[in-house]
Amino acid sequence: MAILEVRNIEKHFGPTRVLEDISFSLEQGQALAIIGSSGSGKTTLLRCLNFLEKPDQGIISVNGNVIFDAAEPATQRESEVRKKRLHFGMVFQSFNLFPQYTALKNVTLAKELLFQERPEFKANKKTILEEIQEEGRELLAKMGLSERANHYPSQLSGGQQQRVAIARALALHPDILCFDEPTSALDPELTGEVLKVIRSLAEQKTTMIIVTHEMAFARDVADDVIFMDEGVIVEQGPARQVIEHPREERTRQFLSRYAEN
Amino acid sequence: MMDFFTSSTFQTVLSALNSGFLKTLQLFFITLLGALPLGLIISFGSMSRFLPLRWVTRTFVWIIRGTPLVLQIIALFYVPGMKDWFNWPSGESGRMIAVCVAFIINYACYFSEIYRGGIQGVPKGQQEAGQVLGMTKLQIFRHITLLQMIKRIVPPMSNEVITLVKDTSLARVIALQEVIWMGESFMKGNSGIAGLVWPLFFTAVYYLIFSGVVTVLLGKLEKKMEFFQ
Amino acid sequence: MKRIASLLLVLAMMLALAACGNTTNNNGGSANNGGAGNNVSDNAGGEGGDTAESDLQYVKDKGTLVVGITYFAPMDYKAEGSEEWIGFDADMAKAFAESLGVSVEFQEITWDYKVEELNSKAIDCVWNGMTLSDDVMAAMGTSTPYCTNYQTLVYAADKAADFEGLTSLEGLNIAVESGSAGEDAAEALGATTVPVQAQANALMEVSAGTSDAAVIDVLMAAEMTGEGTSYDDLVYSLNLNDTQGLESEEYGVGFRQGSDLVDAFNTFWAEKVADGTVLETATTYGLQDAVILD
Repeated sequence: MAILEVRNIEKHFGPTRVLEDISFSLEQGQALAIIGSSGSGKTTLLRCLNFLEKPDQGIISVNGNVIFDAAEPATQRESEVRKKRLHFGMVFQSFNLFPQYTALKNVTLAKELLFQERPEFKANKKTILEEIQEEGRELLAKMGLSERANHYPSQLSGGQQQRVAIARALALHPDILCFDEPTSALDPELTGEVLKVIRSLAEQKTTMIIVTHEMAFARDVADDVIFMDEGVIVEQGPARQVIEHPREERTRQFLSRYAEN
Repeated sequence: MMDFFTSSTFQTVLSALNSGFLKTLQLFFITLLGALPLGLIISFGSMSRFLPLRWVTRTFVWIIRGTPLVLQIIALFYVPGMKDWFNWPSGESGRMIAVCVAFIINYACYFSEIYRGGIQGVPKGQQEAGQVLGMTKLQIFRHITLLQMIKRIVPPMSNEVITLVKDTSLARVIALQEVIWMGESFMKGNSGIAGLVWPLFFTAVYYLIFSGVVTVLLGKLEKKMEFFQ
Repeated sequence: MKRIASLLLVLAMMLALAACGNTTNNNGGSANNGGAGNNVSDNAGGEGGDTAESDLQYVKDKGTLVVGITYFAPMDYKAEGSEEWIGFDADMAKAFAESLGVSVEFQEITWDYKVEELNSKAIDCVWNGMTLSDDVMAAMGTSTPYCTNYQTLVYAADKAADFEGLTSLEGLNIAVESGSAGEDAAEALGATTVPVQAQANALMEVSAGTSDAAVIDVLMAAEMTGEGTSYDDLVYSLNLNDTQGLESEEYGVGFRQGSDLVDAFNTFWAEKVADGTVLETATTYGLQDAVILD
């Protein structure tokens, strides 16, 4: 069974249709890349999965459970949306780190708040917080940032900030990790370190959806690729096939424009 | 010169000015205590997604910010009694209460606009980052937005607070005997002394010291926020 | 559409608020004041009327007579180093309160707002060497006159030659207390007036040279100018009431319009004239020639 099943998603911003009849599925441990020019709806799709936008139509299921159905208001209740969000992790294009917290605190904050709500928290406060801290340090170490745990975001380079953001998203153990153009805001010489981290996550069979402009990266790291244009999925299939031997004319045009750049 | 500072006139004037300045301080701190939280509530109203509430709040803020504080003080003190709605307590305490209410409302409206700018100035991505990490609205406000907002509002807030130091002198319009009233009182006569102008100008010393202290404290707060950007 | 709808909502809420206000208005009088409540709110609307309920009773019920004053020697002032209000008016006000069986409280006010102070019940009377001008008599319930006064011109002693025998103030900048009888007199004589907060501030203007002269009550001029005072560089002359061909002015006590405190005061005053208290007190403050005893 697919871990993620998206069916017939549709989204309008006023009169503009940004997503139309989007359907795809994702298997556990797979990496899916979404490519397409700006304005094609890739980011909006990712935001729909994270409940940052509400689709007008369609159904989203995780592990066979319907977590969103546009026709069922009961699936959209604010109180439950909060829990459902935790199926997904999100890494933003512009990092969105919390500037007033250190790298470590950025990673651990959400988990601390989540555990505070549990009944057993009070009795074991110290142990729980220590465990969360320890896990946070490990995550930062995995990102190659052990030395930077106590730095504030403004003291880190863009690449380092994005790696902290990835650690932050991983801290809550999401089923699916989403990346929204994770390297677009970075200077070219800094994209490598971030892509390396994502690549190693793929090797560890992390389930991921990556919106990206890095075609070579998508081809090498992703299992599947979706090409979107003007709000619709034009072509989807195995990564190597879609990028090297696209079947659709529109895909070909898009890829050739990228080759020229 | 030394004789002057030890003269009974100087002592009389000084103790009158001190008692006036005590009222100035009272008004200043009560206004801050009331207007800082009230301003936040008003700012939430002015950002509400419930349109009627937003319009009522913004109209109210517009009226309060668009009319002189001195007018609001006069209206608030005299109109309730003239219309027989209620009477302020008799004597100086009633005047103090009325003036405090007028100041709190007025300053809360100014503060609310600063808060609104501060909250809306925090990038939307901060809120979204909190949301996708499963935080509640309240947690996002408390743990993420609040401090960033405070950092943003400290400089404009400092300006308002310094203005408040000096605005307290408006209270004398309904005969609250704050420090300027006391300074002036020696022109027309007080405690058998009349025709003295210097006590009025001497009140400037109080304001300078007070606003100096406030400036230093707010500057420290601003410094404290420099650890992040 | 949404915008119009919400605007309408706002209007509706404002009307609702106004309605609430009216309800409180009708009830308020009985709840809190018991006094000249309804009448006072009528006055605020610009109409006169008789008091339905007793203002005297209102003052007795709350147990305090709040006397509105400004610092005005020799009527209401403090001796050096003392916190107690004394003066001809202050002493008589204490006696009046005593006769009513209530305590007295002196409240310094801003002279411009004396009518509002009365009508809002922040004070119960204005007793401060107040000239009974037409404006005052229209806005307040006033007592029988108890003291005579005239407006006089105060100027710098070294310029006395320019001012003596003057019959017109045209072309001069004259400092006056805003809303005072002095302001009326100065305007009637063609002056360019400089209205200030208090008569004492008018003296300050002359002393500082920012105004050519000031028009104030002669009683105050006598107390505050000349040798041995704070303004020993200022002098006064001229009876501006004579210059205008007017009668001398008279001082009275102001109450809320239609208040029965006026009658209570007049009765009290007649008694105190008869038993010699008024003359005795006036003499203490050097007003024996000004006080009215018939």
